[in-house]
Amino acid sequence: MLEITTEALVAAAQVMASEGDDDARSIGLVFLLAGPIFYWVIYMRYRNSDKRHHHELETEAKIHDLQQTDEFVQARKGLTSSSMKGANYKDVRGTVR
Amino acid sequence: MTDTDPNSGPVPAPEAVSPPEAVVNDATAPAGGVLPGLVEEPSGPQTFRTDAAAKDGLNKCARCGSTDVALNPATGKLRCAFCRFEWDTVTMNEAFGLDQGIGELRGVVMGSGSADIVPSTDVVVTFKCGACGAEVVIDTDHSTQARCHWCRNVLSMNQQIPNGAVPDMVLPFRIPKAEAVKKIAEFVGKRKFYAHPRFKAEFNPENVMGIYLPYMVVDVNAHARFEGQGEHQTRSYTVKVGDRHERRYDADLYAVTREFDLHVNDLTVESSSEKLSRTSSATNNIINSIMPFDVENAVAYDSNYLSGYTSERRDTNLDQLSPLVHAQTGDIARHQAIPSLAFYDRGVRWDRERVDVIGQRWVSAYLPVWLYSYHQDKGGGRSQLHYVAVNARTGETMGSVPINQARLITASAVAQVFGTILAILIFLVG
Repeated sequence: MLEITTEALVAAAQVMASEGDDDARSIGLVFLLAGPIFYWVIYMRYRNSDKRHHHELETEAKIHDLQQTDEFVQARKGLTSSSMKGANYKDVRGTVR
Repeated sequence: MTDTDPNSGPVPAPEAVSPPEAVVNDATAPAGGVLPGLVEEPSGPQTFRTDAAAKDGLNKCARCGSTDVALNPATGKLRCAFCRFEWDTVTMNEAFGLDQGIGELRGVVMGSGSADIVPSTDVVVTFKCGACGAEVVIDTDHSTQARCHWCRNVLSMNQQIPNGAVPDMVLPFRIPKAEAVKKIAEFVGKRKFYAHPRFKAEFNPENVMGIYLPYMVVDVNAHARFEGQGEHQTRSYTVKVGDRHERRYDADLYAVTREFDLHVNDLTVESSSEKLSRTSSATNNIINSIMPFDVENAVAYDSNYLSGYTSERRDTNLDQLSPLVHAQTGDIARHQAIPSLAFYDRGVRWDRERVDVIGQRWVSAYLPVWLYSYHQDKGGGRSQLHYVAVNARTGETMGSVPINQARLITASAVAQVFGTILAILIFLVG
């Protein structure tokens, strides 16, 4: 059990690292959430309630006659987010709920 | 609109700063919303008959005349239980060219086994045994075969009646029961420590059932147009804010459009209303997650493929499933556009989307699943049905295992204690 606990904590730290926050104090804050994170990781491993068929990737499809335009609008400076605000090009809306 | 190579990035930015023209809100297309729908649909659905050669009653072995015929999963062929003669059934792709002509599809085309269910149609059907004349009853909710209780011949129902019991095609089992039992045991074996003690005591993978579940397989000919904005990162750097260093990004903003024809082959959706529901009482997402199936190998429907297995009758119609299929077509279109957006490393925001379904071809199918189910009584009148499912074609396995909450909460508390100690150490050292 201890081994799994450690794995979960390491995984949580990696998650934070992947977010790009290299501040050690922030990682410390993640460890303060070790209990809920561990519960969530084990719950999902057993219950798999997030699993679904990825129809958007696993369905055979071909595109034809692709037409595309890309027109420069403006340069943006000093953005704080590493990704575009409101980006939705990977959205999936056809899952059964 | 200009045509450009989808693999290359946009042309270097021009000097002028011009707002994108295409992001005007359209009252009929809300921001980020897909506009599904049929365009210029021919008058009514066109149906192609898939049971023209089908025969109800006694389906005999061509060599010895026995009616004891079943699938041999090792070869995928039908086999006579008496003389061991084996024979093939033509695949639906060969018979009806279902893998071709998606670009020519207009309006709704459907197999005769996908026709709307007529509510008054009987679920329990009575046949007269062709060998002895006895009346034999088939409960089509769970099977399309029954053995005559007098002469022991097997009677099959292969002709379609409007109750959803006989689909256009069937994908035979390939994974034998022993392999499915092994996969389920392995899956649960890796999830024993926090499993509910009663589940562990009662778990017996030998109780797995082979079941043909109903699905609709849809080919879609669509036209998609996306309009929005994309960002390409030009610089990343840190700035000092107070006594902290923070990261900042510079990016170029582009007005982006993508427009293309989309041909979707074998989009598969469940057609059992029970399996489509996502309530907390059943883990139906598990069954959904073992898709996709190799439906291109499905054969024309023959009840003999169901011998030894159970089946679940389709109880939804095309109209009920169309919104889901159209929404999934929109998802597929959105993801098919992604390779052409590689230049926009910060992402793209589509402000206006339009996906018109020009033509669609619906075929109903029985697809094979090994299903282990466990009914968990949670007390207080609450219960949950847990599934461990194996795709009987690909072997993909997924499941839901009831949890021993007391043990998991205790372990989480221990993790919390360790985590708190580590956090204090980090704060002290860092």
